[in-house]
Amino acid sequence: MSTTRLQELLVGFGFGKQTDIATANTAPTIWRLRKLNASMANPKLATENDAQEYGKGHEFATQTFKTSWDVAGSLEKYLGAEIGAWAMCFGLGKVVKSGTTPNFTYTCTPLIPSNGDATELPYFSFVEQIRPGAGVVLDRMAVGCAVEGWTITIGSGPGRANSKITVEFVGSGKYTDPSGITLPAQTVEKLLPSASLTLSINGVDYVTNKNIVSLDTSWKNNIRLDAGFFPGSGFQTPGDGTTGAVRGRLEFGNRVGTLKFVARFDNNSTEYTKLKAQTTGTAVITLTYDANNSLQITWQKMAFATVEITETDQFATVAVECTPIYDSTNGLITAVAKCNVDAICQ
Amino acid sequence: MTEGHRVWMKPPFGEGEPKEVEATPEILTPLMVAGWSQCDPPRQATQEVTTNVHD
Repeated sequence: MSTTRLQELLVGFGFGKQTDIATANTAPTIWRLRKLNASMANPKLATENDAQEYGKGHEFATQTFKTSWDVAGSLEKYLGAEIGAWAMCFGLGKVVKSGTTPNFTYTCTPLIPSNGDATELPYFSFVEQIRPGAGVVLDRMAVGCAVEGWTITIGSGPGRANSKITVEFVGSGKYTDPSGITLPAQTVEKLLPSASLTLSINGVDYVTNKNIVSLDTSWKNNIRLDAGFFPGSGFQTPGDGTTGAVRGRLEFGNRVGTLKFVARFDNNSTEYTKLKAQTTGTAVITLTYDANNSLQITWQKMAFATVEITETDQFATVAVECTPIYDSTNGLITAVAKCNVDAICQ
Repeated sequence: MTEGHRVWMKPPFGEGEPKEVEATPEILTPLMVAGWSQCDPPRQATQEVTTNVHD
């Protein structure tokens, strides 16, 4: 009896954006990357039945109905320049691409609908395959996916696991099986290791001071999933009302950004003073592979929300949670991602 | 869409003329927040070439 190891799973997704939620990426706009987590983007079918209906003579179901489809997934990866650029572009939504090969620069900010921006994030297709071809085990593509959020975690230590990114995404529910996609060769990724960090928060350079212990920063779009099923949103098979509804839009809800860090605490530490004064400043997080591959995230204005003395490996440390504040000129967050890959989110 | 490290940006709601700016975060961020988005360079007006030569 043959078995399938999940390490055989091939994952590909659109680095280019779909033209609309229902139109899948084509093969030239899809790349193939590795990931760390085993969870898969399984399409989930919601069904109803007629058990509650009168006129049957009993309380039991006699038939079922396909009502709607859902897809969700996550990518857990060592942080690299390529996935960093992709997560910022698709997660924040507004992108300006500049530069030329080998130094493409993606400047990303959140969409601001009151200033004319879209309420929907860019869409991508997500492909999962195991032994595609004659001996296929799995070959499917979720169409119309959007980034629900990303989390970057930076820790202390020598391994790759000290710089990771997790991207959560949700889908329209539409999928194709088989995908019809031949995945390209795996994209060579340039890691952005923890050791490359430069960090300035609220006027303090925590790396030069050798004080930083760990950091995580995140973005969540809180996509309005139910609102995706509006009258006319469509079906799994267009025109066939028996195949279950799919979402026709994925609009972001109340978006939330977070920044937390742990640093060594000593007599020069200013976190409590800044907490009490509610001092505001920027937070600039930079990770670099080389001159052409890097990620810089700037929280344009933030204040400390909580400051707690803790212990890390017997050293006194301070755990700080920050509140990002919208700056009237520079907004909330800007991400500048550099990598060798052209046309991300284009 | 991009020429070196300068980019063309169009104003929000399609009102006004596009402009070319340095692609630095210091310049792009306030524009992007204010609703400007990247666009193709405007087409150059084609120059009419006159070949009418009078002796």
